[in-house]
Amino acid sequence: MSFCLETYLQQNDDYEILLARSGVKECYKLIKDNSKEIIHVNPGDKVLGARLIGIPPIPVGINEDKGTILITYTKPCHGTAAIELPLKSEDIAEIREMDIGVN
Amino acid sequence: MKALILLGCPEAPSQTPMAVYASYKLKQLGYDVSIASNPAAAKLVEVSDPEKNYIGELLNIDKCLDSLEEGQFDLLVGFVHKDAAASFFITYYHILQTKSIALVFEQDGDLVEEYREMVESSTDAEIVAVRAYHNPTPLRVRFDKTLNKIMESE
Repeated sequence: MSFCLETYLQQNDDYEILLARSGVKECYKLIKDNSKEIIHVNPGDKVLGARLIGIPPIPVGINEDKGTILITYTKPCHGTAAIELPLKSEDIAEIREMDIGVN
Repeated sequence: MKALILLGCPEAPSQTPMAVYASYKLKQLGYDVSIASNPAAAKLVEVSDPEKNYIGELLNIDKCLDSLEEGQFDLLVGFVHKDAAASFFITYYHILQTKSIALVFEQDGDLVEEYREMVESSTDAEIVAVRAYHNPTPLRVRFDKTLNKIMESE
C-alpha cells in the first residue's frame, strides 16, 4: 500500500500537529513523551503505507485508547514535525509487528 | 552505473552550483545521473543548466523516496546542510544500501559537526564536512578528493 501523507494532510482535518518546523530529535522526544506505547522502525520503513524519514531508530507512538498514531513528517525546507493521526484498530497489530525491538 | 544526487532545501547558495558540478563530474566518470529534490531546488538546477549539458533526470524527492528500492542506484551523493537534509540522506542511504557520499556544510561550525555526527552515527557513508555557505570551493575540493578515493578503491 502506498500512502501520501502530504495529500492526506491537505485533504483532511482529523489530525493534530504537535510540533512543527523542528529538529528530528526534538520530535522524537515529543513522541516518546506523548505516547502510551512506542515502537521503533528503520528509516524508509512504511507505516500505514508512508515511508518514515529520519535517524534510526525512528519512534512511532501508539495511543490505542485514543485511536491515534504519532509519527514524524519531514520536508527539506520546513524541518520535521510530529503529527498525530487517527489509527484504525485493525491497523495496530500490523504496526506493532514492525517494531525493530529497541528499548 | 547510476548515481543519485539528493538535494536539500535550496536556501544554501553553494548547493545549486555544487549539484551541477557533481552531476558533471559523475557523468565524466560514466554515471547516469539523476537528481532528487523538492520543486524549488529542482527549479534552480534546471535554470542553471537549461540544455541539461551537465544535469540528468530531475526527480521529486518524495515520489522518488516512495518508489525507491535497494540497489536502484550505485552511488548516492547527498547535500546535508540542515537537520531535515540529514534525515533525508540517512533514509535514502538505508533504503539504497549503496556507496554514498554526504556533503555536510554550513556556515556555523557547530552545526557542521552536529550534522556530521548525525550522518556518521547512522551510516557508513563517506563524509565531506566543511564550513561553507556562499563559496562552494571548499566543498568542491573535498568532494573531488573523496570521489577520487572512491574511484581508486574500485
